[in-house]
Amino acid sequence: MGMNASASDDQADVDKILAGDISAFEGIVRRWQGPLINLANRFCHDRGRAEEMAQEAFLRAYRALSQWRRDAVFSTWLFALATNLYRSELRRIPARTVPLADIAEPADPRAPDGGLADRDYDYDRDSAVRRAVFALPPKYREALVLFYFHEMDVTTAARSLGLPEGTMKARLFRGREILRNRLPQRLAVAHLKEA
Amino acid sequence: MRRSTGPSVGNDDSEIDRILSREDEILPSSGFTVSVMEAVRREAAARPPIPFPWKRALPGLLVGGVVLALVLVAVVRAIAQVDRTTASRFSTSLPSVMLPIFNGGVESAAIWAVLALLTAFVSVKLTMRLCGQE
Repeated sequence: MGMNASASDDQADVDKILAGDISAFEGIVRRWQGPLINLANRFCHDRGRAEEMAQEAFLRAYRALSQWRRDAVFSTWLFALATNLYRSELRRIPARTVPLADIAEPADPRAPDGGLADRDYDYDRDSAVRRAVFALPPKYREALVLFYFHEMDVTTAARSLGLPEGTMKARLFRGREILRNRLPQRLAVAHLKEA
Repeated sequence: MRRSTGPSVGNDDSEIDRILSREDEILPSSGFTVSVMEAVRREAAARPPIPFPWKRALPGLLVGGVVLALVLVAVVRAIAQVDRTTASRFSTSLPSVMLPIFNGGVESAAIWAVLALLTAFVSVKLTMRLCGQE
């Protein structure tokens, strides 16, 4: 389904809901449940909690539906609302994180050959990078999460966070800088041990 | 430092971009939509909170305000009629902030009365606002 079709479907469903047809909200839930749950999961890395937060986001969207000003696409409004909710939920009950300094990924010692070790190494490194993002200070973590969730679209990510693009870019730069400074050494050490 | 052995050890932005762009997607559990719609229907069925009956309360509030103002004016006048000598006797034992009421006459007393009313009004509004957010 294209974005335009989705946008017009959203608008039609919102009109129906505001006219009293609650069941039209199901269309919105079906269209956006995947993205909203995945966004929540990137914030908390906990599937169960991600679904709970996404459900609360839909409920809040339903309550606030009349406040959606149609100068923005419905999905933009929905993502901004969900992002705000996820951020405040995680401030209230933080997700379990490993301190950035503690993230080191040893290579899998069971690797019988170089090829498998390489794949394991890839997996370990990717996992370490993701955990390192998760361990960043919230403002950098949120910027990176939103940026990659929105397929590296700075404008959309900034809008979801309610930040000016310049601030968003600065946070992305700083967040990546922290990752660059922290991770390569650790991964390099792990790789050398493996060799 | 970029290593050339093994699968690229990325330490630049493109490597970070590549890793973070391909995060595994999770699928919603089968009952998710039903669960959300149940919550939405419960929300819709719940009675909205009873709004404060401003239309009914407004005449009463206005009358109450006017009565209060009249009482205050009467009290202030009564105080103003107190002998100046008595007032000056009081003034030696009263804090300086109270002196204008006794020395300045009805005008300054009225200012104090208006200030008190304003404070009460702001307190009531603030309380109602806080209660409304619950």
